[in-house]
Amino acid sequence: MLTTDQLRAAMLSSVGDDESINLNGDYPARDFTELGFDSLALMETCAHLKREYGIIIPDEKLWDLTTPGQLLEWVNGAHS
Amino acid sequence: MGQRGAFVNATRRMVFLFPGQGAQHPRMAADLYGINEAFTDTMDLAFELLDDPALRKTWLQSDPGPLLHDITRAQPLLLSVNCALARTLIAAGVRPDAVLGHSVGEIAAATVAGVFDFAAALAMLADHVRHYQHAPPGGMLAVAADAESVAARLSGLDDVVVGIVNGPCQVLVCGGRDSLRTVRQQLLIDGVTCAEVTALQPFHNPLMNHVPHWLDDAGSRKLPAAPRGPAITMYSGYLGAVLDDVHATDSAFWLSQPARPVLFGPALRTALDDGPCTLVETGPGQSLSALARRTRAVATGDSHVIAVLPPRRLPPGADTASLAAALTQLGPLTQCHHHGKSDR
Repeated sequence: MLTTDQLRAAMLSSVGDDESINLNGDYPARDFTELGFDSLALMETCAHLKREYGIIIPDEKLWDLTTPGQLLEWVNGAHS
Repeated sequence: MGQRGAFVNATRRMVFLFPGQGAQHPRMAADLYGINEAFTDTMDLAFELLDDPALRKTWLQSDPGPLLHDITRAQPLLLSVNCALARTLIAAGVRPDAVLGHSVGEIAAATVAGVFDFAAALAMLADHVRHYQHAPPGGMLAVAADAESVAARLSGLDDVVVGIVNGPCQVLVCGGRDSLRTVRQQLLIDGVTCAEVTALQPFHNPLMNHVPHWLDDAGSRKLPAAPRGPAITMYSGYLGAVLDDVHATDSAFWLSQPARPVLFGPALRTALDDGPCTLVETGPGQSLSALARRTRAVATGDSHVIAVLPPRRLPPGADTASLAAALTQLGPLTQCHHHGKSDR
């Protein structure tokens, strides 16, 4: 089970110290691009999820997920 | 600034951002063709000036295949679409105070800034792709790390460089394929996130200086027309700073760009450091918006980002809806910006 807060923490940690993003309350419904996450930042987020929680999202699946909400749904569906 | 200062919105400068190679996708912005007058006229003019009827066909095809990504197709189409969108916004009353382009997007920025006429820009780009299609094979690797630490990893490999700096933790290594493979293997071992990027030539690497002059025996390439100093502020992705008249009017500066590193991240930072901006991504996709959304200025709300087109290819109608939404967001800003005083 991956929570909204855990995913937010992973996304924030994937952004470098010199960078900044805004992930407010409704962030799971917004497009990754709209949140400032391109494919590289998304891969970095996934690396964090793997390290911290052992969650593995295959690259080909990752490109189908366009919002954090979809990512949460996929992870929680596949790992519950 | 004078009168504008009274209103928060009016103090934000309008900065158009133009994406480069990699942003292309099938039917990019094509929903607007035949619907929006300024856009349609500019695209038709581009096809007429380029004298390349097959280009329009490739653009409008729903599945043009890998051909679309070839520089001979992708780059003239990107320049045309970028400029057509800029003219669309200007026709709607949204005028840029400044411009910034990413890699080949710099030519669109320079066109909007008045450095080149549209015809001269298209002619320059047509010459450029004729020349660089003979470049040696190569590629690019995106790395989620800072430029300095990535550059340190490349010592000992003579044909790869940090060719693109997109942000503090976002760079691309450009160069020969064998060396890129070596770099990738080491990064994977060290747990540094990286991804191969679709690229056929080693752009933004000095290797591009050594492309043989197949077409002009004289060996010296020229611009079709003399460039002028920019009429509005232009941030150069090759300087990482404001484009000055000395660089703007130097033909060599423009001709050498494919071999020079792109410093888009530093250029964007310079623009944001000059004061609050409304950044408007004036081209296909939202790759530059995504980079801009990771800056402190945008995350804190001091500066805004508005993308004219959808983040990726979406079903028909999405381009039109996205443009309309962008104009609605820009509308109130434009009024404050141009009249100085609000009716409120």
